[in-house]
Amino acid sequence: MSERPKRAARPVKLNVLNEPKDSYTGGKSSLCPGCGHDQISNVIISAAWENGIEPHRVAKMSGIGCSSKTPAYYLGQSHGFNTVHGRMPSVTTGAYAINKDLLYIGVSGDGDSASIGIGQLIHAIRRNMDMVYIVENNGVYGLTKGQYSATADIGSKKKKGAPNKTQPIDLCALAINLGCTFVARSFSGSKKQLGALLKAAMSHKGFALIDVISPCVTFNNNDESMRSYGYVKENEMTLHMADYIPHFNPVEEIEVPDGHFRDITLHDGSVIRLETISAEHDPSNAVAALTALHEAESSQKHVTGLLYFDSSKPSLAEDLGLVDSALLDVPNDVLRPSRESLDKINAALHS
Amino acid sequence: METIANDFTINIATANGTGSQSANLILLQSLFEMGVPVSGKNMFPSNISGLPTWYIVRLSDHGYQAPGNRTHIQVLVNPATWHEDLESLEPGSVVIWNENAKMEMTRDDVISYPVPMSALARKINPKIAKLVTNIIYVGVLAELLGIDQDELEAAVAKQFKGKTTAIELNITALGLGRDYFKENLSKSDPYVVEKRVIEKPQFFIDGNEAAALGCIYGGVQLLAWYPITPSSSLAEGIINYIPQLRTDDDGKANCAVIQAEDELAAAGMVLGAGWAGGRGMTATSGPGISLMQEFIGLGYFAEIPSVFWDVVRVGPSTGLPTRTQQSDITMLYEGSHGDTQHIVLIPGTVEECFEYGWRAFDYAERFQTPIFVLSDLDLGMNRWACDGFEYPDQDMDRGKVVRERDVFEAFEEFGRYLDVDGDGIPYRTLPGSGMDPILYRGTGHNTKGVYSEKPHDYYELMQRLKRKIDGARDELPAPILREEEECEVGIIYLGSMENTIQEIDDMLEKTGLKVSQCRVRALPMHSEVENFIRRHEVTIVLEINRDGQLYGILRKELPNDLITKVRSVAYSDGIPPRAQIYADRILETLKEAEK
Repeated sequence: MSERPKRAARPVKLNVLNEPKDSYTGGKSSLCPGCGHDQISNVIISAAWENGIEPHRVAKMSGIGCSSKTPAYYLGQSHGFNTVHGRMPSVTTGAYAINKDLLYIGVSGDGDSASIGIGQLIHAIRRNMDMVYIVENNGVYGLTKGQYSATADIGSKKKKGAPNKTQPIDLCALAINLGCTFVARSFSGSKKQLGALLKAAMSHKGFALIDVISPCVTFNNNDESMRSYGYVKENEMTLHMADYIPHFNPVEEIEVPDGHFRDITLHDGSVIRLETISAEHDPSNAVAALTALHEAESSQKHVTGLLYFDSSKPSLAEDLGLVDSALLDVPNDVLRPSRESLDKINAALHS
Repeated sequence: METIANDFTINIATANGTGSQSANLILLQSLFEMGVPVSGKNMFPSNISGLPTWYIVRLSDHGYQAPGNRTHIQVLVNPATWHEDLESLEPGSVVIWNENAKMEMTRDDVISYPVPMSALARKINPKIAKLVTNIIYVGVLAELLGIDQDELEAAVAKQFKGKTTAIELNITALGLGRDYFKENLSKSDPYVVEKRVIEKPQFFIDGNEAAALGCIYGGVQLLAWYPITPSSSLAEGIINYIPQLRTDDDGKANCAVIQAEDELAAAGMVLGAGWAGGRGMTATSGPGISLMQEFIGLGYFAEIPSVFWDVVRVGPSTGLPTRTQQSDITMLYEGSHGDTQHIVLIPGTVEECFEYGWRAFDYAERFQTPIFVLSDLDLGMNRWACDGFEYPDQDMDRGKVVRERDVFEAFEEFGRYLDVDGDGIPYRTLPGSGMDPILYRGTGHNTKGVYSEKPHDYYELMQRLKRKIDGARDELPAPILREEEECEVGIIYLGSMENTIQEIDDMLEKTGLKVSQCRVRALPMHSEVENFIRRHEVTIVLEINRDGQLYGILRKELPNDLITKVRSVAYSDGIPPRAQIYADRILETLKEAEK
């Protein structure tokens, strides 16, 4: 047999740490093909690589749900903790208290963050813990097969059952009102915008919330309000088979210039309107950010970009009043006070 | 009249929020300093101000620390419980009562000492008469019983550390009480206080403060907590000691404290700390443990070192939040859904509260699992005599953590959940180390920590966890045994029952029974407990709850031939155990056993 001539290997790109991008990848995704969450995972990989973060110095945190499975799919050299539903913020807080030197990247969903764990999200924001908190927001409970989440729009309609009548929670508005120091919204298909926001969030000292609209390819079949129903109608037969998951290609890459909007057609044929916040928006102005969110809501758009930013607040590490090194690195003989100190305490109690 | 020295109980009925607690502690402390074996029990309401509260001071040359079976001297200050308190007295009891309370003395078969407490208090300062009223009755008691003025003044000084005005005011009030009794009343009761030689110096401290100190010496790095009675003073004790013991010259601490938004978050933070390689703990009570159940299961399954103090109060639900019980034994031992088993340390003295304070972290890191410490309101919040705290007799045990690359490389095969040594305890690496980076999870996993639903992986994992925790039995604190040669009746008990057991034992011996004692100090139970049962004709499991929770665990774990030798005596009404109630029930149960 004749050997095929070897193609000359392409030079592998390296980052500032001389690491190839492969050092930042993870295992194979088990999400539905075409899921926006996988696009977000890829952006995380790129952002960490481009930012030159040592891959093993990241801690990947998550709760429970489709989104929370993704830490297995990126940054394979980092430890991670897939915790319990909605409680990732508290576990992260505890880990952070012990080792503040790691970069904490939390991935969560709308079930995790807007329902069962909304209390933990709120209090993590209050503490201004240094972490990147990504919400992969699809308005639906995917792993339990399509129930509405607390971010579902009024009028959203499931395959079966009544349309959603309950007011959605806007996590960005909530975060701004709580004084969150970095609040952004993006779209899973906006690789460039999301990448830029993620890189900024990774460098932020404090709590950085990125609410990423990441439509569910399997369970988000809405046709009410701003969404059309075309795809579902064309595929009615297959959609009635509960265990059949249609294969999609990921949503096309989408970039919207500052101050403009574009309509994006999703897999199910529905359309969402994304508007990038204008370059004139002052992210230090919370009122302007809230106004932009409200205006977008009333005109049935999603406004994306960096909505609010405040670098003046101390982070949790500063508030805790701890020694400069991570507590993890404090030696045992410092952690345990001396024998003499106990003698003194005994003597004082005896006196 | 024959006198009765150092063998009676004083019950002081006041309302909370009036400052009676300081007055009662001064009384207790002065008796203690006279060498009189004494104990104080605070029966307080779940309320800040105005509801009835009782303080029971028991003097006993036998060293009995339980609240006695009856009141000998009643102090009546609170009109709200006046009649109830009066009616419950046995004829011949002493009543010291506030003449200004606008209440009647309705008993003519008691020894009555009316004292115009409010009027006397107003003489000192009308604005704080309510507060001063309390110290007036301490002065009356001092005169009536013969408590040393020096000891009283020393106790006042100790209570109000350096606050000159408060010290002077209280000493004046004590004098007024004393003088009133001297000038207007004459002693017609038999009760007196006699000084005793102090053989070994002791001090008073509550279990929560002792535990807090123990945790400090255990190198706690994160305290995450949510306030709940009766555990809050444990967390606050740690917070109070950090500046003195865990802070460097620049005022920077090496222990983080986070007041969490709820107990779920507190548990999550403790697990996060353990996962990151630190020593995290929380202090809570039963309702908090209920909320933490999900995380407890995660800690067990993902094998995360973590420490949970449960200072038990009366359940279920909100229950009696300021009363004591031993009712969380099963919940801790088998906490969370699925098959679980947890290590539970059970201190019975303030010295053990300190010791388990530091040891719990060693066990947590050694066994890579949640460790519970079961205290209760009686042990945690009442003051107990203490010999002093002993410095840890061993270095910190940080468990099987691989920290160096060359050690890691030397492993033939590394798996986070691989049992290399056959003891069920695998090796772990820490986040940030870059060694064996895995995604910890509460889902099923194989020996590498990778998601798995394979029957073999799940079965083997659960068997190993059983081996790990069940195998810890004899490495945990062994029971304290006090055995009679005859081996007739054995009593197994736990925790704060330690303070009542000797009185129960003496009561039983008076009926001719020879009783051995076995105080369980940890779950899973040490093999010595089984041997104790085997040696005795019949064994009673004595506990402060309704259902006999420890008894239930024993029945499940003992070999069949021993089960019939074991009987349960469980009783709880919220009050710290009174000896007579338990002794009577033991006798009844033994009678039934003979049938």
